[in-house]
Amino acid sequence: MDTLHQILSPDFLLRNSIYTSVLVGLACPLVGVFLVMRRLVFMGVALPQISSTGVAIALSLPLWLGFNKTGQGALNAHALAFSGSITFSLVAILLLAFMERRGRGQPEGRLGTAYVVASALSILLLAKNPYGEIGWLDMLKGEVITISNSDLILTAATLALVLVVLGVFHKELLFVSFDREMAITLRKNVVFWDVLLYLLIGLTVSIAVLSVGPLIAFGFLLIPALTAHYISRNMRQFMLLASLIGGVAAFIGFYIAYSWDLPVGPTDVVLLGLLYVAVWMVVRILPGGARLT
Amino acid sequence: MSIRWSRQKSKETESVSALEAWADTRNKTMNEALITLDNLGIGYNRQPILSDISLSIARASFTAILGANGSGKSTLLKTVLGLLPPVAGHITTVSTDVPLVFGYVPQAIQFDPIYMLTGFEVALMGVYGRVGPGRIVPSAERDFTRECLDAAGAEEFAHKRFAELSGGQKQRVLIARALVTRPDLLVLDEPTAGVDHETTHAVLDFISKINKEKGITILLVTHDFMMVRKHAGQVIWIYEGKVLLGPAKELLAAERMAEIFEIGVG
Repeated sequence: MDTLHQILSPDFLLRNSIYTSVLVGLACPLVGVFLVMRRLVFMGVALPQISSTGVAIALSLPLWLGFNKTGQGALNAHALAFSGSITFSLVAILLLAFMERRGRGQPEGRLGTAYVVASALSILLLAKNPYGEIGWLDMLKGEVITISNSDLILTAATLALVLVVLGVFHKELLFVSFDREMAITLRKNVVFWDVLLYLLIGLTVSIAVLSVGPLIAFGFLLIPALTAHYISRNMRQFMLLASLIGGVAAFIGFYIAYSWDLPVGPTDVVLLGLLYVAVWMVVRILPGGARLT
Repeated sequence: MSIRWSRQKSKETESVSALEAWADTRNKTMNEALITLDNLGIGYNRQPILSDISLSIARASFTAILGANGSGKSTLLKTVLGLLPPVAGHITTVSTDVPLVFGYVPQAIQFDPIYMLTGFEVALMGVYGRVGPGRIVPSAERDFTRECLDAAGAEEFAHKRFAELSGGQKQRVLIARALVTRPDLLVLDEPTAGVDHETTHAVLDFISKINKEKGITILLVTHDFMMVRKHAGQVIWIYEGKVLLGPAKELLAAERMAEIFEIGVG
């Protein structure tokens, strides 16, 4: 209980880290629900990795351009990382979505290739950039400990924007996802709504990757949504439960990690994985509980 | 399986329902050509499947599109709906101040069961053409959706998850959704595919009924010659790359069919 009081105290040294974890835990599953419903789970894997490659390239830019490496401030580095993350996320998601709509080739093959090339490229880039390497490895491991006030504000503002847009246009985003053909017959601009949804996913992934790293971003995007799908009866429950599972898992994961001196991100993901297995088993045991996921 | 079209009689005498009031406006302009296809070519990626299709669909008519698998029935339907661009020619619609509204009933099997939507929520999508982005659906539109579900005989299972409904129940919900759009033209793509014989009869009887009583124009894709003979007034028959158009009784007469199958369309 002492640890819990300590974590909840406004003077807690790592308070920004726990706030960020919970924010990402609450927001990521909401866009993750759309990835799951649109059968774009592989995109949920590839996109955070591509986003982190964007971070790696952005952090390598000063070196390539011959700027003074040691003079880089933390704020500049963060701004660079944010620019790289968001640019790569948005370009990748729009490109992959466009190729998927064209319906040619193998979408899984494209996403798998994008994932593995992005991973390898990140490692190559940062192996040659000793200044970026340390921070990037922390990010990769999900070390959510060095979150400044400005990082927290940026994360909160971005995720709030995503939540507001998702809430206001939920009807349209769900409609074009569920029945694109009917949306066209009712003269809905399906391309606009697709692009808006992909922008929201890209924005969320970018900010989540910067805050908690690609592995954890992937975990929060998909596992809460997949878990919630087993126990929800309608769309409202599906979205609220997914968000709640993400937020609560982020908090409990932080508590466990702090108590046992573990890295926060991997603790969160393992916790989410255990919850997913537990829910799956309960649903299997209960009569008539098998779902359609 | 009985189909209920209207609400209880006592309610009918009190006021005309929104669905009936809307349908009455349709009856006033029967017999004009709602859609005209002029030398239309249809296909995918600019590769024509069928060419030189010229025909008209009259308002309040019941037209069936017949043909074998892969003959181009659904492609024709999707081109009329605007889901596919024509390869050649053009489609003209009756001149009105507002564009035609299509009540599209796709095949129920195409919907992903992962969506946790109830039958009511699916039917409610029919109003989205009238409710602007970001706006909440007004209660009058929700009532109208319930009325259409009731008319399609789908109200009793509308609260259940759409994915868990039977094939016939899904079709009723989808027909209700198409009615909710207040359509000029109800377009149905094999609405009885994968549905048992009894439900097939019930669904087609219902479609025929709304055509006759409410004057809603029907364009139906099907394989079922017997059902077409019973319900449709006009037939578009796609056979060996040719498109035949004529009254159902004439085109589906035994002698005419034998002639077509024996010597081909040409």
